[in-house]
Amino acid sequence: MMTAIHELKGVRGIISDYKLQVVITAIFFAIWFAFYVLNPSAFTNPFTYTSLMSISPYTIIPAISLTLVIITGEIDLSFSSIMALGPLIMAMTWQAQGEASLLGVILGLLAGLGAGLFNGILITKLGIPSLIATIGTTFLWRGVVLVATQGFSIPLGQYRDSMVFSALVGWLGGIPVQFLWTIGLAIIFWLILNRHRFGAYIYYIGDNRVAAQMVGINVDRVLISVYAIHGLIAAFAGIINTLGMATFWPTLGDIYMLKSVSSVVIGGTPVTGGLGTIYGTFIGGLILEFIEMGVLTSGVTGFWIRLVHGVVIIVALAAQGILRRREIIRARVMRLITTQATQQSTS
Amino acid sequence: MSTKNIVEMRNIVKRFGSVVALRGVDFYVRENEVVGLVGDNGAGKSTLVKILFGIHAPDEGEIIIKGMKFKKLTPKLAYELGIVLIHQERTLCTNHPIWRNIFMGREITNKLGFLRIDDMKKIAYESLSQLELTRMPVETPVKYLSGGYQQGVQISRALVFEADLVILDEPTVALSLAETQRVLEYVNELKKKGKSAVFISHNIYHVYPVADRFVILDKGRVVAEFYKENLTPEDLTEIMISIARTGSVPEKYKELNLYRKSQLT
Ligand SMILES: Nc1ncnc2c1ncn2[C@@H]1O[C@H](COP(=O)(O)OP(=O)(O)OP(=O)(O)O)[C@@H](O)[C@H]1O
Ligand SMILES: [Mg+2]
Repeated sequence: MMTAIHELKGVRGIISDYKLQVVITAIFFAIWFAFYVLNPSAFTNPFTYTSLMSISPYTIIPAISLTLVIITGEIDLSFSSIMALGPLIMAMTWQAQGEASLLGVILGLLAGLGAGLFNGILITKLGIPSLIATIGTTFLWRGVVLVATQGFSIPLGQYRDSMVFSALVGWLGGIPVQFLWTIGLAIIFWLILNRHRFGAYIYYIGDNRVAAQMVGINVDRVLISVYAIHGLIAAFAGIINTLGMATFWPTLGDIYMLKSVSSVVIGGTPVTGGLGTIYGTFIGGLILEFIEMGVLTSGVTGFWIRLVHGVVIIVALAAQGILRRREIIRARVMRLITTQATQQSTS
Repeated sequence: MSTKNIVEMRNIVKRFGSVVALRGVDFYVRENEVVGLVGDNGAGKSTLVKILFGIHAPDEGEIIIKGMKFKKLTPKLAYELGIVLIHQERTLCTNHPIWRNIFMGREITNKLGFLRIDDMKKIAYESLSQLELTRMPVETPVKYLSGGYQQGVQISRALVFEADLVILDEPTVALSLAETQRVLEYVNELKKKGKSAVFISHNIYHVYPVADRFVILDKGRVVAEFYKENLTPEDLTEIMISIARTGSVPEKYKELNLYRKSQLT
């Protein structure tokens, strides 16, 4: 009579998130294998992997903090423009000072933080839907960058030997430093989401905002903080991208809007919020970059990249859709079983 | 049962635009008392308890909790004062495990805000075992639980937070018979622990077994108040029907109506 429910079949491996992560990892290895079949020489060439580690941070870093935004059930597109705003402030400071200072980096990061705060306030205090608000700020910050630069790039090659360069985009033990930053940030954000109160609130707000409010969580404050953090991280990604190219381009970030959003989505974070993992986003970003690398080294034209990206996004989303639907059915069955369990204990 | 009021609401008026949801309601709950708050659809029951939990601010009137006077509350303040509302719509995050839902908004953390997961799981388990809700591991996502089990999790939350007053707004809606029975047992459990409760339900047969006193709301007013020992469920049904039809309590029950008495004296 007293068989604990968890001894019944099917309750082990409780959350389908694990399954999603297995699926996304499987897709990653499938693409890796396809790469091997199509282009064995590039597959075995270490240069392939070092360039992957140099380039993928530009997509993955903003995608990591974007994951938090999307888990709350909101969206941010303006990070693509903040990716230019931050390094612009940095480059302008450096130009004024004549050296690659840490101050420039800090001011650039603060600009990102401020732009993120501004998004958060528009969305919470003025109640503007996040999609609309951040479309507005996407144009706003890009406009600021274009007006300030008059569309011209700012070369930064003369600072290549500085500390800032080696700390952000140098090499360490044969690995591009920006990739180490990416892993570090992924770990920090994983800790925040899974082990910290703030991360718990992020999930609760996305899962059931009314409930979050009812237990006294300050929803506005959490959302504003999430946007501010995302702004800061976007500026950081923009700065390492700028340093990686040793040039500030006023159009910087444009291509990452879709790539970073796609990384999050491929990684299993639904745009409806309440669910999502940093691991998924990380692998999602790697998948996109891997495809790009694979297409570029295989000799066909770069036009194929978008097409393959599209196919992979659709396949990943279809797989997730099937998993989620099965999860809904499973939850229904489990509710029936637990109903019987409560009935047994009454009788 | 003590005669000390744990909360008291005086002359509460609440308007939603042109709709007057509450027209000067006096309401109190005593220590270790279960109040059955009943009344027709739209009578203002939910509105009254939402004011008590700080979701709505009253337009007029005052709320006295543990000797302190308030013009209005916030959910956060209400929690701190030991009031928990278990909502018609469930206040659970269904993708998340039981233990997280129990500690939602009141996590046990270290100084840096990092969760003390093992402590929370342990306390959650202890609180759930008081309600005999240990058949599912505390890591189970709430969406896997039946409606009655979910209500049990919410009540566990109230137990962990050491709420003195638990408000249950239609907790038995959409529950099977046996599950309803369980929820009623939870309420009895709260009473045994010396807590107070307000129980809102459309179904007289759900409120009757658990309540000590009934308060009947009609169109934003309290029209009657009875001790349970003076009435059978059939009496209560008769009174409710009469109030719905004529707006007043049948003659033969008027003597028992505490509310009228207090008005006359
Ligand atoms: N947020 C709101 N905005 C406008 N009107 C409201 C609001 N909440 C309640 N009302 C109105 O106030 C009146 C009382 O509603 P309330 O929900 O308190 O009744 P109730 O007794 O809980 O009814 P039910 O049994 O249907 O839950 C109703 O006329 C309702 O339409
Ligand atoms: Mg109601």
